[in-house]
Parts: sequence; C-alpha cells; structure tokens
Amino acid sequence: MTTDEGIVYDRSLLGVETHIGTFELTREMILSFAKSTGETNPRYVGNNNGDGDIVAPPTICNVFVSGVSRPDIKLEFGEISFFAGQSIECKAEIRPGDVLSASTKLDNVYAKTGRSGKMVFAVWETKFRNQDDTTVALVTESFVRRNKNR
Amino acid sequence: MKKNLYFEDVEIGDDIGPIKRSVTDEDVIEFISVREKKITPSRFTSKEVANSEGLPEAIVPGPMNIALMAQVLTDWSDTVCLLKIDVVFRQTVPHNKGLTFSGIVTDKDETGGSTKLGCDVVMENSDEVKLVIGTGVISLPNKP
Repeated sequence: MTTDEGIVYDRSLLGVETHIGTFELTREMILSFAKSTGETNPRYVGNNNGDGDIVAPPTICNVFVSGVSRPDIKLEFGEISFFAGQSIECKAEIRPGDVLSASTKLDNVYAKTGRSGKMVFAVWETKFRNQDDTTVALVTESFVRRNKNR
Repeated sequence: MKKNLYFEDVEIGDDIGPIKRSVTDEDVIEFISVREKKITPSRFTSKEVANSEGLPEAIVPGPMNIALMAQVLTDWSDTVCLLKIDVVFRQTVPHNKGLTFSGIVTDKDETGGSTKLGCDVVMENSDEVKLVIGTGVISLPNKP
C-alpha cells in the first residue's frame, strides 16, 4: 500500500525547483569518466590517440548529482536512511565544453509498508540544462527512511 | 569485432552481454576525480571510513554503478542510443571483486515508427547474487 497520509515533512518544498550548481564539462572530464568505467567505445573516447570528436557517456550528469546539498524536508520518521534507486533519462547529447545548469525539486514523498515495517520514500528530480537551455538529462533519485530492526 | 545491430535484428528474449569485470580502487578514484579535485577519504575510497560506517569494505559509488549498468547496453552495439535507465540498488558493490553484467530484451515497440527496445539489466557478484537490478530503454536505427 502506498500513501502519504500521516507523513510529517515540509510540504511547502514539494515541486519547488532549487538551483544546485553549474558545471562545465571538459574533454578531460569525459575521458576520465570513460576511463574509470573501462569504456572503449570511440564515440566516448575518441580514436586510438584519444583525438577526434566525442560525446559524453549518457549517464555522466550523475556525477554532479551525488553529494549535492538539498533542502531539508524535515521528515519526521525513521532512524536510518539509504539510497534506494535512481533513473536517468538521456534527453540530448552532452559534449565537451557544455556548461550544465542543474536544478532539483522534491517530486514526491510516500510511505510503503512491507515485511520489515513502514518505509518512507522521498523522490527528488534533478534537471540538467545546457548553455542553450536544452534539457539534456533528467535524474530521479529515491531515498528511503525506516526504523531499525528490533 | 562488435556487430552493428539494427532494430530489425533484435527480438524479445535476445541476450545482452554478459560482461565480466571488476572495479579497482584506482577506477573508483578516477571516477570521483571527475567531480572532485581533491579526493578525501570516504566510504568509497577508504576501508577505514567504510568500516566506521558499518560496511565491511570500501564500496563502489552509486553513480558509478549506474554508469556500468548503462555501459552493458551501450556496449552491445555502437548503434545503441540509451534513452533511459532505471536501477535499484539491492546490495553494496565491493571493489576488486568479480562482477557480471548482463541483460535481456523484454520489449520491442514497433508502433508508429518507433525503434525503442525495453531491456532488463543486472549486476551480479561471483555467487550470482544480484547487487544492482534495472531496466533500460534504448533505440536502434532501422536497417539502411
């Protein structure tokens, strides 16, 4: 069962966009990202000399999402929290030199009750736009709070 | 050599991968350095910090896991365009341990000229325990 009844948090934050940063993506950052994941596709790493046109691997925006500080939703539930899941919609190609502006909003807060008891999910949606105001990626993250098992 | 796949080549049930690899300590540091100029010890880079947070060892960051899951799909063929990936983290992913990434085609949308495919993807450890599961939507070009 999914519900948001009885969950105490700052509901005024729902749907309110907050700017969380501007990030210039260099060729070196793209190559470093590709190297770290063992990427070999020339589309992302260039030719054998590392030259040539490249685009960023499609999930690269994600590196800018982790660790950002978001508004405190003042959720009054749970003793432990963890990262439950994430989705990335890739809307447009990202290229070296692109300047990405990120804004995030609280999309949803809901509760589920399962075998281990009640859990409250907070879902954040972060939008990345490039210097032409084109949305290049949409990252949705889900965080869970629950009580410790007794 | 990898074959360029077209939409017409693919059927529901086709396997994607598998890819076997491990993520080294150096890979994680390289990944984190994309964003952070100075790497500070964290659960991702330090066993001590990980231990202090109740983890048995340093773990692979979530964004790196999702990048690796996406790579299973984009590695399948140079013609793949990744539209969306959605993952659920079931367990933490350790450094320097054997991982298997694989996928399967679960949907083929042929309505209105679409060339979209739905896929399931999974990351498993050497005991075949699923660490990260997910779904992806990709597109492939039509055959010329």
